[in-house]
Amino acid sequence: MDIQRLQNLKNQAISTILEAKSEKELEEIRIEFLGRQGEVTQLIKIIPSLPSDQKKTFGELINETKKIIEEAIVSQKNNFHRQIDREGWFDISIPGEKPPQGHLHLTTTAIKEISDIFQKIGFEKVIYPEVEWDWYAFEGLNMPNNHPARDEWETFFIKKLSHPKYGQAVLTPHTSSSQLREMARLGKPPVRMLSIGKCYRRQIDASHAPMFYQFEGLVVDEGINITHLKGTLDFFVKQYFGPQREARIRPFHFQFTEPSFEVDVSCIVCGGRGCKVCKQGWMELGGAGMVHPTVLKNGGFDPKKYTGFAFGWGVERVLMMKYKIDDIRLLFGSDLRFLKQF
Amino acid sequence: MNIIVPYSWLKEFLETDANPQKIGECLSLSSQSVEKIISSGNDWLYDIEITTNRPDCLSVYGIARELSAILPKFGYKAKLKELKTPAKKDLSSEKSLPLEVKISQSSFCPRFTALIFDQVVIKPSPKVVQERLEKCGIRAINNVVDISNYLMLELGQPMHTFDYDKIKGAKMILRESAGGEKITTLDGQTRSLPDGTIIIEDGQERIIDLCGIMGGANSEVDQQTERVLLFIQTYDPVKIRQTCQKLSFRTDAASRFEKGVDSEGVLLAMGEAVKMLKQTAKAKIASRLFDFYPQPPKEKSVVLKLSLVEKIMGIEILSQEVEKVLQSLGFKIKNSKKEEKEFVVPHWRYGDINISEDLIEEFARIYGYHRLPSRLPPLAFNPTENSGSIEWANDTKEALKFWGFTETINYSMTSEESLKKFEIKPEDCLKINNALSDDWLYLRLSLIPSLLETAAKNQDEGLKIFELSNIYSPQGEHELPEENPMLTGLLTNEDFRKGKGIVEAILDELGIEHYEIKPYNLQKTFYGKTFNGAKLAEIILKNNSLGIFGEIKKEILTRFGLKGKVFIFDLDFKELTKYASSQKKYQSIPKYPPVIEDFSFVLPPRTYLGEIITAIKEIDLIIKSADLIDSFEDTRTLRVVYQDKNKTLNDQGVEKLREKIIKTVEEKFKAKIKGKK
Repeated sequence: MDIQRLQNLKNQAISTILEAKSEKELEEIRIEFLGRQGEVTQLIKIIPSLPSDQKKTFGELINETKKIIEEAIVSQKNNFHRQIDREGWFDISIPGEKPPQGHLHLTTTAIKEISDIFQKIGFEKVIYPEVEWDWYAFEGLNMPNNHPARDEWETFFIKKLSHPKYGQAVLTPHTSSSQLREMARLGKPPVRMLSIGKCYRRQIDASHAPMFYQFEGLVVDEGINITHLKGTLDFFVKQYFGPQREARIRPFHFQFTEPSFEVDVSCIVCGGRGCKVCKQGWMELGGAGMVHPTVLKNGGFDPKKYTGFAFGWGVERVLMMKYKIDDIRLLFGSDLRFLKQF
Repeated sequence: MNIIVPYSWLKEFLETDANPQKIGECLSLSSQSVEKIISSGNDWLYDIEITTNRPDCLSVYGIARELSAILPKFGYKAKLKELKTPAKKDLSSEKSLPLEVKISQSSFCPRFTALIFDQVVIKPSPKVVQERLEKCGIRAINNVVDISNYLMLELGQPMHTFDYDKIKGAKMILRESAGGEKITTLDGQTRSLPDGTIIIEDGQERIIDLCGIMGGANSEVDQQTERVLLFIQTYDPVKIRQTCQKLSFRTDAASRFEKGVDSEGVLLAMGEAVKMLKQTAKAKIASRLFDFYPQPPKEKSVVLKLSLVEKIMGIEILSQEVEKVLQSLGFKIKNSKKEEKEFVVPHWRYGDINISEDLIEEFARIYGYHRLPSRLPPLAFNPTENSGSIEWANDTKEALKFWGFTETINYSMTSEESLKKFEIKPEDCLKINNALSDDWLYLRLSLIPSLLETAAKNQDEGLKIFELSNIYSPQGEHELPEENPMLTGLLTNEDFRKGKGIVEAILDELGIEHYEIKPYNLQKTFYGKTFNGAKLAEIILKNNSLGIFGEIKKEILTRFGLKGKVFIFDLDFKELTKYASSQKKYQSIPKYPPVIEDFSFVLPPRTYLGEIITAIKEIDLIIKSADLIDSFEDTRTLRVVYQDKNKTLNDQGVEKLREKIIKTVEEKFKAKIKGKK
């Protein structure tokens, strides 16, 4: 009678195991049959009360049943893992297990893209101080104290820090301060500088953060002229924004370049036809110009012999154009819901 | 500074066949930037950004003058209406009302002119004047006051009208203010004057004008005014600018004066004002022309070499073309040799044309930058030593990204509160003098507080973030701070081994070898105290600290609103890059198989496993590695790999070493072998 019961139990167990749809279900089945209160276990408990001639046979049978059930569970479990059935069907829609993947900050990515582009045409990347003397940030760039042009740079000043010769300490409001530092470092041309760094201005709204990154290009040598500046800007614009984009320069004014230009790129939204985002098909990128003779002189170069061009603008400005981000503050807000999108 | 120029007003001075859109486009390409062209009834308004070096463009006439040179280059006809400066005698009456003028220092006011009118009829301005003012954003007041605003927009010369009878004693003393004087200006505001402000007082010591910025309410023209004093000057731009900055107050007039107004244009403006006063207010001139102009500027000329034009522009240029363009902008040829020309600068450009390069800009922009070819500069190389830290930074960031870290960039400026929470003394940090807000007052001395704040803001399970940015260590009152890049990372709810593993992986990635990880001893960093002392370690290389890592104290975490475990690594990236190397050493692939054995030791309390591993590896060169593979209570299981490059090892071959390992660990560290597996 008990042998029959055991047989039934085995069949019942196997059929439920084969119908199980999940590992959780299998575990429940295991407990139902093999757990401490399980049906097979209950049968083991009656062995001592059996007549001694039956003990051995019954014991062996129970062990065998137990083993069969265990194997069935393992084999069904393996089926789940393989997602493969008897006809060889395989569930390829099962989510993959990805390696851990983090995210670089958009600014880092943009800086890398920008430097790669300029490195291709021989620019060398440098980093110069963020806390800088007035002389490098303004005076040496042909902007004496009280010059109204200084209003364009709303500058942070550092308390109790000044130099007898170089003036007050400021948080540099532009990477143009690198121009003088690079010329001094090299001592003589050729200069092919790409300076990238943090800059600071007293401004905050959707398109201005008090801290931002700028990059500055400087090329000085014999025979450098406006056509070279145009060539460099065209190269950058096509590499960074795509081959259909055009660059153009228009008159502007900076104290440290003469002539000075504003650099535009044909609108990346409408392609130059004119839309809400742009001005008659063009978007402003930044400033550029031929290095002012006074700046060359302040950098220790002979302005009669050498000429040069410089250009520079905000890293965030170009990446915001490229990714269509409407608020610069998102970049420095450390909201991972934003940072993890890139 | 932006100005609005109505198309209809522009056309009064400029005859052209270019349409309003083309005019805007050409102006942008060759002169000042037209930001918008706004349609207004049957008129168009140009919103133009004028650069600081071109105050001569801050007027309708100034823009018309530019366009007369630009449009022909684009194939349009353009003719500027000429304005004639009146003769002084036409601006005077025979009998003169009295006016006593004293100017304390002539540099404050390079030119001072005044003219008195009587029988003035005050009424609203003609409709066209009112409409034009409104289009430009100025409210019409009456026919006299409006004239000064109208002519400022038309000619760029600010001017002021006083009620002559309100100037007590018919006396004007122009001087610097001192000792905290006050004036109530036309807008009804009473302003305390900073010392050094240029003002005018009358015969009763009343201040009647805040020069160049706004007139006083006490001498204002009103409905009862019968006699008007028309007042046109130029001022020292620096003085006006300083006052505006100190008062945080700027007017349209002040914005023009601080950039420099042309003294030679004063009489032209006076002549136009007289015409308008006669026409619209039936005014009669009742004085001589008061004109104090002690030092009219000398004729200014600049020499230009044709070769320099070609050098800067990079193309061949015909000298006649240069002459023609500069003449169209008002320059006159003084000397014309084949290679070198001397140009007389028009008086409205005295402020910004000084050197040859300035003339090249004038020529090149009118010639058209869009017509220049585009070429890459020739490659050139200046061999210099440059630190490789930038490239290492990129590699390290990439690695962290693929280990699941998200990069953050936080502001370099921080608050006093944040510093204090992390036990940094604010007085040890650089402070900003004119901060935007208390949140951005000090420059960071550590990136850790920013990361803790980021963690608090993004309460995520298993957060992994990092930042690579400068910290700023003050070096005294006359030296720039040291800007040192730090690589700082944060992990939440990870155990110490995982965190330490990241640090070791970074060091591996940078190819740094022979470092030691020790308890926090050197204490180079000042904030070690914010870590849980038992779970804090330092990376040492050649007696130098490369950084620290460990778990932050509960107490500190609570201050930042964080719970659970927070692991931080804070690495001195400049030091790291000093030792970084991409050089890899090749070792021949072993020909003979290794012997691998596991040892389980029971360690006494407070034993550093790291020291045991080092000791084992130092026993013999044949011992290639000793790695922790299991850890339970006091037992540590190490897997030791023996490998000889010259022969196949067997059990007997490693027996001596095996014994030596056991002996070393048992004797030196008082550990017990648990039976070899």
